[in-house]
Amino acid sequence: MAMASLLVTSWLYRFRRHAHTDGHGGVVIRPRSLYILPTRQGMLLALVLFLMLAGSINYGSNLAYLVTFLLGGIWLSAILHTWRNLLGLEIRPAQVLPVYAGQEARFCLAVTNPSSLRRFGISLRHKKLMGESADLPDEASCLLHLPIRTQHRGRLALPEVSLHTVYPFGLFHAWSYARLDTSCLVYPRPAESGDPPADSCYTSSDDGDRGVGADDFVGLRSYREGDSPRHIDWKALARERGLVSKQFGGDRTERVDLDWDLLPEVDTETRLSLLCRFILQAESQSISYGLRLPDLTIAPGMGERHKQRCLAALATFGE
Amino acid sequence: MRQTIEHTLTPKLQLHLYLLTGLVLVPHVQHLPLVVSFFLFTTLGLRLISLRLPNLQPGRLLLFLLTVAGVFLIYSQHQTLLGKDAGVSLISIMLVLKTLEVRRRRDLYVTIFIAYFVIVTQFLFDQSFLLLIYLLVLLIGHTSLLLDINRVTPAAHFYEPYRQTLWITLQALPIAIILFVMFPRLSHPLWHFGLDGGGTTGLSEQIRPGTISQLIQSSEVAFRVEFKGEPPPRETHYWRGLVLWDTDGTTWFTDPDKPIPILTSRITPTGEPVEYEIYLEPHRKTWLFALDLPAIAPTDSRISSDFLLRLNEPVTQPKQYEALSFTRHLSNGLSPTYRERALSLNNGITDRQRQLVEKWRSSSSSDSELVDQALRYFNTQPFVYTLNPPRYVDNPVEQFLFEDREGFCEHYATAFTQLMRLAGIPARIVIGYQGGEYNRLGDYYTIRQYDAHAWSEVWLEEEGWRRIDPTAAVAPERIHSAIQPNFGSIGAPALFMIDGQGFIGNGLSQLRMLLDTTGLQWRRWVLGYDREQQFSLMRGLGFDFLTAGYWGAVLVALIGLVLALVALQLLRQGRLKQDPVLAIYQRFCRRLAAIGYPRSVHEGPLDYSERISRERPDLASPVQSITTHYIGLRYSEGKKRNLGNFAKQVSRFRPRRVG
Repeated sequence: MAMASLLVTSWLYRFRRHAHTDGHGGVVIRPRSLYILPTRQGMLLALVLFLMLAGSINYGSNLAYLVTFLLGGIWLSAILHTWRNLLGLEIRPAQVLPVYAGQEARFCLAVTNPSSLRRFGISLRHKKLMGESADLPDEASCLLHLPIRTQHRGRLALPEVSLHTVYPFGLFHAWSYARLDTSCLVYPRPAESGDPPADSCYTSSDDGDRGVGADDFVGLRSYREGDSPRHIDWKALARERGLVSKQFGGDRTERVDLDWDLLPEVDTETRLSLLCRFILQAESQSISYGLRLPDLTIAPGMGERHKQRCLAALATFGE
Repeated sequence: MRQTIEHTLTPKLQLHLYLLTGLVLVPHVQHLPLVVSFFLFTTLGLRLISLRLPNLQPGRLLLFLLTVAGVFLIYSQHQTLLGKDAGVSLISIMLVLKTLEVRRRRDLYVTIFIAYFVIVTQFLFDQSFLLLIYLLVLLIGHTSLLLDINRVTPAAHFYEPYRQTLWITLQALPIAIILFVMFPRLSHPLWHFGLDGGGTTGLSEQIRPGTISQLIQSSEVAFRVEFKGEPPPRETHYWRGLVLWDTDGTTWFTDPDKPIPILTSRITPTGEPVEYEIYLEPHRKTWLFALDLPAIAPTDSRISSDFLLRLNEPVTQPKQYEALSFTRHLSNGLSPTYRERALSLNNGITDRQRQLVEKWRSSSSSDSELVDQALRYFNTQPFVYTLNPPRYVDNPVEQFLFEDREGFCEHYATAFTQLMRLAGIPARIVIGYQGGEYNRLGDYYTIRQYDAHAWSEVWLEEEGWRRIDPTAAVAPERIHSAIQPNFGSIGAPALFMIDGQGFIGNGLSQLRMLLDTTGLQWRRWVLGYDREQQFSLMRGLGFDFLTAGYWGAVLVALIGLVLALVALQLLRQGRLKQDPVLAIYQRFCRRLAAIGYPRSVHEGPLDYSERISRERPDLASPVQSITTHYIGLRYSEGKKRNLGNFAKQVSRFRPRRVG
């Protein structure tokens, strides 16, 4: 039974129409890709209208007829208004921030109303999963988020989504399916425990006195992009001397090489989880770190951008 | 701005809903039993208070108890749950009970749908234009709530959803009109509960002293008449409604055990026929009004042998019908049964009455002369015609004839009929309306309740039934002009309405006529629109060839057409007006794209122009010139723009591929 319904669904799926692509990565909702059906409330009102009609016929009251027909007319024109409310909208993928496996990927789509007609109650969905809703003034855009829970590291492509509306009266439900080429980078889930392999982990720096380290304060220099915020001399900033970074030096600079081969012999995913943990650890301790994977080596460094580069390498490992 | 769909309802929205609910129920107060109205508004009040004090929100148990109480209330008031009155009580109670449990969107929908139903039930009681407007406003109000909850951000002003709903309603109006005109009307109800009580003012099946003088305090319209051709003189406008044959001395009626059969014998009409059309207000009776002898009856009615138009069903909706009457006729013979019935006397006969009649008989040679004697008696003796006669308790005829001598038409008619029977002349009482107000603007007569009248008919061997109006003998003005209902003291003489007294009086009467004319059109085309009118309208439009099947197809096609027009309008409405400068520039871009230099999405006009100049130095000069021209035109607001040169420049630009 389940198998049969699955077959029917997949067979029907072949006939599903999707919003038309606009050639620049976005899609446009055209009439042919728009679906519309009455909602439960719409069907209930239809039933109520039949009862009213029966009453009008029975008592032969012309004003009762008139009001019943007027509501019937509103019911019918609601179809057009719901249809129009979705028609012509453009959807374009927007930036998605990477997440760790197990977290929710917040996909973000920019919906644009290119017409002078205001749109209301536009909502984004994936199957039963409800995303955000918004009203769109004329010629306006807005961002709609759709949270999808992630399972594995890697690149999570945005599944088929749909844009919905029941505006104006909630009597009809119009929707359009859209396939958009966007994905969310999913970093491995950081391992819960584990320490970096001990040997060859820390190396002394030759020019420890002047280089980067964490032990002793050695002086100030002007801020460079990538400097850790916790090294910024905030007091100097408060005295209006601009952004100045504190320099630390020491006998030895802490540096860690996160080497794939030095990890215990466990499966790939566990190793990636461990590496992820070490990267976050090193970053939080302001230890310079490098990454060595079987097919990729990243020179030691520090800072948000370096971290993202390393995590991205883990996320896409083996692709 | 963005959010996930909220499923709870704000207190403000709920307050709006409950106020509308209350307003929907207000007109029903006059139709519902007092206890039911009390229940409705108390419950609604509880709901409003619990918005502010949520602790007072009734729980499940109280809600259940209220429901039981409501059903019990309906049953105790109406002894049933079916039929119009009980049904309306039921649906109204359902509406207020539903408001008590509005928590989510779904509840709001159910409440509003019940409110729609309550709106429609109002028209079973009252079909006035004002009520329609009032209820349409409420209908739009309820619908606008639906629109409001389907927005994400609430509207800045409450009227904004109203305006949008009004707009959609206006688009729905043509559909409603098409359905109204073309939807097949039935001539009989689908089912009949037989429970609908009357409550309208109007003539009843019997009269006793005081019935008509009460009725004439009302200026409600009974019906309107449009004569085809020259109207007969006003003093012959006796609109017959019902003939009363039997009496017990106080009340006159027609014994329901001895119904009057349908007219079978031939009547010889004399004189010219009168053709007219009547727009009758619902009076909940099974008779129609017509002049003297109706010769052609409306399709759903029959002519009884006392010349009345009888129906099977009571008139509960405005009705219009055409009829043709003869004002004079010769009846041939009165059957012994009816002669006996028209001569039967009650036990209120006294010696004084006998002596009076014997005196008339002795001084007249024929029945006709005796009738004249009687009329002269009313005319010469000090009888007073008054709207507020004294209350006659036992033997009203005797008291009226010999003691007080103050009375209204029913007193004269009953006394006269009784005396005629005593004299051996078959006589009966007719009730209906007499006169009416002529509307110059619309060329028709409006007959109101205060035109109600009672008169007699006597059987004379040589001519048959003859109409005798004893009131005319006392107060001939009554027959020539309408009564002004005054509420003076008992015994105050009746005043008669004189048209056009002075400038203001004239203006007021004009205005009244204008309003009444509009009223007649409303009744004719909206309230009275029925099967026959539908057919004649379709004939007029040339649709008479349509059979039932095609009829439906045309209906669907017309509605489809309206919907297509609305859709087109919606599409046009949303279309942006494109800047003509941009359109010309895009033509320029297409030409460059055709030779392999498409403009990227992110590329501004200047960047594009620079790139083209770099890659195709041969095109640099025209491309740069067009771009400068374009930017100048597009980003210079307010200046009068001359597009001609720009358009020409682009038209001349015909780049070619290299090699």
